Amino acid sequence: MRSQSFKKKGPNKPMKRKKRRENTNQQNQCRFCRSKTRYIDYKDTEILGKLLTHRGKIFSRKRSGNCAGCQRKVKLAIKRARFMGLLPFTS
Amino acid sequence: METVTKRLYEGLFLVDSGEAAADWQGINDHVKKILERSEAEIVKMSKWDERPLAYPILGRKRGTYILVYFNAPSGKLTSIERDAQLSERVLRILILRGDHLTPEDIEKDTPAVRAEKGQPVSAPVEKIVEEAIAEDKDDEILDVDEKQD
Repeated sequence: MRSQSFKKKGPNKPMKRKKRRENTNQQNQCRFCRSKTRYIDYKDTEILGKLLTHRGKIFSRKRSGNCAGCQRKVKLAIKRARFMGLLPFTS
Repeated sequence: METVTKRLYEGLFLVDSGEAAADWQGINDHVKKILERSEAEIVKMSKWDERPLAYPILGRKRGTYILVYFNAPSGKLTSIERDAQLSERVLRILILRGDHLTPEDIEKDTPAVRAEKGQPVSAPVEKIVEEAIAEDKDDEILDVDEKQD
């Protein structure tokens, strides 16, 4: 009798996973490596603005998908743009 | 005798918008004078853009940027920066090495020229950031940084 209570009710249902965008898995290079950009210009606020939060903080590599080298270049370009008043330090 | 080698540099001068609009030639001559005092040869000098500043600098909310490509001896850069900092007409200056620049890069249209021609100019920073935020809402990737804000 007791053993019946431990009977398996059925196979465990697989956990629901959030769907990730397909291209995030397919892209194995960062946006700058894909476009073969060797120098990131600090005056290009259109590109650099997309790599900032609404508070003006720099997006992490995980969020932006940049490679380590490009993230360093982005960091330098954003800091130069901030000094010249092109991008905000904070808002 | 020591030979002086000159390198190509890219300099961006930030000046007050009101002053630039009132006396553009005067501001141009002032920047030229700062550079020529330090034996710099100007390759190209043009108005880069006139736009609102991301944060107020010395009480100014708008600024005009002057982009200058010049050849100068490396030892003279500190004197250029010092002169610009002492000048009351120049708010900020940034000088970078321009070894990577090609003649096409130097001759490329500035946002001010594109605006004159009626070509699309990049949107202001606030708009770009707003667009980026709108894109984020659709994004399902976890954003640790955003959560901290």
